[in-house]
Amino acid sequence: MLYQIVRKEILENLMSLRFTLSLVLTVSLFAASSFVFVDDHRDQLQQYWQKTNQNLSGFREQSAQLYKLAFYDYDIYRQPKLLALCAGGFEESLPGHFTFDAFSTNLPQLAGQSNFTLPRFTNLDWVFIVSLIFSFIAFVLAYDSICGEREKGTLRLILAGSTPRATVLLGKYLGLMLTLGIPLLLGLLVSLIIVIASKVDVVSPALWIRILGIVALSFLYISIFVFLGLFISARTTRSSISMASLLLVWVVLIILIPSLGRLISDRLQRSPTPEEFGRAKAEASRRVEDDMSAGKFGERAGTQTPNPKECNPPARARYANAEADAENRVIEDHHNKMITQAVVGRNLTCISPAVIYQRTSEAIAGVGINHCVNIYQQIKQYQVQLKEYIRDRDREDPDSLHLLFDDENSVAEWNAISKRPVSFDSVPKFQEQDLALGQSLKLAIWDIGLLALFNLVFFTASFVSFLRYDVR
Amino acid sequence: MIWKIAKKEFLLNLMTFKFAVGAVACIVLTAVFMPILAADYQQRLGTYNRNVGDNETELRNVKVYRSITHTIYRPPAVLSAFSAGMEKQMVGNAKIELDKVPELSVTQRKGNPYLPIFAVFDESLIFKIIISILALLVAYDVISGEREQGTLKLMLSGATARHQVLLGKIMAGLVTLCVPVAITFVIGLVILISFPMVALSGSDWVRIGLMFVASIAFTLIMYQLGLLFSCLTRRSAISMVLGLFVWIIFAIVIPNASVQLATQIRPLESEEKRDGRMLSLKNDLARELGDIKVDFSSSLITSDEGDVFGGYYAKRRDIYWLHAEQKLNSLDIPVKLRYADKFWELEHSNLNSFFGQRTLANRLSRISPISIYENVIAILAGTDLTSFQDFINQVKIHRNEVVGYIRSRTDNFSSASFFAVCTEEESAEYTKLYLQKEKAGDEQAKARAEQALKEWELENPVKAVSLNLQDFPWFKYRPTLAGDLEKAIPDLVMLAIANVVLFAASFVAFLRYDVR
Repeated sequence: MLYQIVRKEILENLMSLRFTLSLVLTVSLFAASSFVFVDDHRDQLQQYWQKTNQNLSGFREQSAQLYKLAFYDYDIYRQPKLLALCAGGFEESLPGHFTFDAFSTNLPQLAGQSNFTLPRFTNLDWVFIVSLIFSFIAFVLAYDSICGEREKGTLRLILAGSTPRATVLLGKYLGLMLTLGIPLLLGLLVSLIIVIASKVDVVSPALWIRILGIVALSFLYISIFVFLGLFISARTTRSSISMASLLLVWVVLIILIPSLGRLISDRLQRSPTPEEFGRAKAEASRRVEDDMSAGKFGERAGTQTPNPKECNPPARARYANAEADAENRVIEDHHNKMITQAVVGRNLTCISPAVIYQRTSEAIAGVGINHCVNIYQQIKQYQVQLKEYIRDRDREDPDSLHLLFDDENSVAEWNAISKRPVSFDSVPKFQEQDLALGQSLKLAIWDIGLLALFNLVFFTASFVSFLRYDVR
Repeated sequence: MIWKIAKKEFLLNLMTFKFAVGAVACIVLTAVFMPILAADYQQRLGTYNRNVGDNETELRNVKVYRSITHTIYRPPAVLSAFSAGMEKQMVGNAKIELDKVPELSVTQRKGNPYLPIFAVFDESLIFKIIISILALLVAYDVISGEREQGTLKLMLSGATARHQVLLGKIMAGLVTLCVPVAITFVIGLVILISFPMVALSGSDWVRIGLMFVASIAFTLIMYQLGLLFSCLTRRSAISMVLGLFVWIIFAIVIPNASVQLATQIRPLESEEKRDGRMLSLKNDLARELGDIKVDFSSSLITSDEGDVFGGYYAKRRDIYWLHAEQKLNSLDIPVKLRYADKFWELEHSNLNSFFGQRTLANRLSRISPISIYENVIAILAGTDLTSFQDFINQVKIHRNEVVGYIRSRTDNFSSASFFAVCTEEESAEYTKLYLQKEKAGDEQAKARAEQALKEWELENPVKAVSLNLQDFPWFKYRPTLAGDLEKAIPDLVMLAIANVVLFAASFVAFLRYDVR
């Protein structure tokens, strides 16, 4: 019986105008977005490798003198990801350019030429299409599935037989999911074919797993809206009322709540303004200067003369390092506050499945704000590694003072760090690491749970409502 | 007859569930979020006032003309609660410098860079999304629904002309939808002005009035769109599905796709090219500055002190040093000024390519009435891109005034007051005494000279007084109502044209409608 209901539902849906419209709309969106993506991705990859190689060759030149490695201004760009096809994570508007040397990291900046005059840059990625268009289509297909049949009088006929209500509901659910699966899978297929045929990047097996994960997630997400549609349809007696209610729910969940993130985070967790940040930085360096005047770092810590005998190099090194540390702390604190603001805004808008779905797909695809934070942390680790390496090599040079501190002139003049050449191959280089699949899943697991919970809640609601539904 | 139809239709509409839901949603959302939006504005205004205040106090303490490098802040737009526009994307401040002309691109890339993950919420979102859907829902069954009920036949069997029916329906729709629009506006405004820091000027009220007109025109477009589908189809379920799909295309697909399309059609010039030109210009500047040779060889003493805005001023100079520095300034500041204009040209042409994309995206998105409406409201609220351009243009004028002011005060940057608090006479005297000390033959003479120098220094302490900025050209930002209106007119006209076209289309469709 279940099979028959599902079959009837699918066939009926397939012949409806709304299905045709949805199919045309979504498949053309998928195709268009993939063409755009292929073009963009090719350019981005080319630029990324060009810049990365430029940076590396600059770094190679520094290996002629060991101390210079520490003072090289590293330029790191965020690696463009193939999975941005699935979830772009607004990366084009997020900072993607990181500059640092062995001592300090600057605040990340926007990379290259992003047009700031354009309205908030939305990628037309899979997540965009699924979260906005498919949720809408799910409602448009589901709004009259129960009350519409009541209006036509066919619902009584079905239930007059021995078919239990649970089977009818399940049949309708499966019918709707399968109907929605057609445009979704077709669209994804078209999208993947375009990307693979363009040979813009290699899809490794690990990526396939992630892609499958995102597809599964999309079904989980769409299912919420199907249950919600069934629920509202089973709560109302007339399909026009059901439609109006569902549209309101859609607007609130998909448009309004996600757009409140900025407002809420600005009110609750505003990060310091650039002026405040500047003041904090000045304050921190003034405090270290006071410490210096008080003699905390040793005598003559402030003096810098070309001749190391005239001043106190260890004290100077302590002072310079304390200053760099203080500044780093302020920068890192500021960076953390900015991240917190964004994260708080997002967490508080998590009542909307669209936000959860966006966040989870970003986590699985390894893009978005987590990607930026991750690079920042990797840079911090790399700095430690680089300093460690320089110290190790420096120990081999008896002429050097073995003082590594953030003042290039003094280090050079005093021979505080060895000036001997090193082999570039042994120097650790920065290479962006993708999060492992396990870690990505760890980031996503709570959100997947939330999506499942949404499903469960709306399933129960629709089940109970349908059991109590007056079919007359 | 039109009147009767309109009245009946209006009363029917008022009692429907969809109207109740839509209207209540608008009212609740406005009542809940307008206070947050207003508080947000207050907070930004507070930050702005603090920044401006700090900046002015600091400027009033400036000791030498060279240190006049204050920052100009753009006041937040009071109507940003209605349309946030670019307000959250752009920071809106620019530093006044001698060797740089402010350009719009300097006003971004500050603040928290992680916030673009959020869409912005403002009052216009309620209109764009909720009221537009409500309009479609009210309209989708006006004709096809009546046909299904069989009342359309009855109505047209009498002497009532078809155009009367249609006009009556449109009027009813207009009046029905005016109710939530008006209530939302009134509630929003009452909440907004109840905040102590919010002050609306006369021109703001004109803007609000126009926003209201634009909102009504936009709502009518969406209503007529629904009406058109209703006249084209025989079943109301079909007209609704058509309406909803068109809506999602207008509201979601077109605004986003037009941006993508614009970036594809008009790609930006590569960064390397631009950086290359910038670099060659920088090298030219360095070369020209290097060509300026001023002899500092006979100079003796210098001592500086920190000034405001991170600058510094010369406390004591010997006369040779003072003259050399004066000469250097009078030679290289004009070069820097000239190059500032060249850099600006380069940056400006780069910025123009951004604007090109933006304009193209805007043009493409105008297929959708929702985008047209969004644009009008942003212009009227003074938060669209052009209002930032306008601000920067005013800052540019201000910078030129400041440059002119400094030029006139410092005799083309050649006077000592440009960089020093000591006068020429003081320096001359100081040099004389200093040289006496240095050239003293014996110990006794040296001690005497040193004593004399000390006494002179006590008599003539460093006069670090702040500059008298009485005729300083203070900056005052004036958003121009007339200019904004001029920019809003094309979009307003487009809204009107869309109304007329849709009316004509639904008129024709209804004339040919089979009422059976």
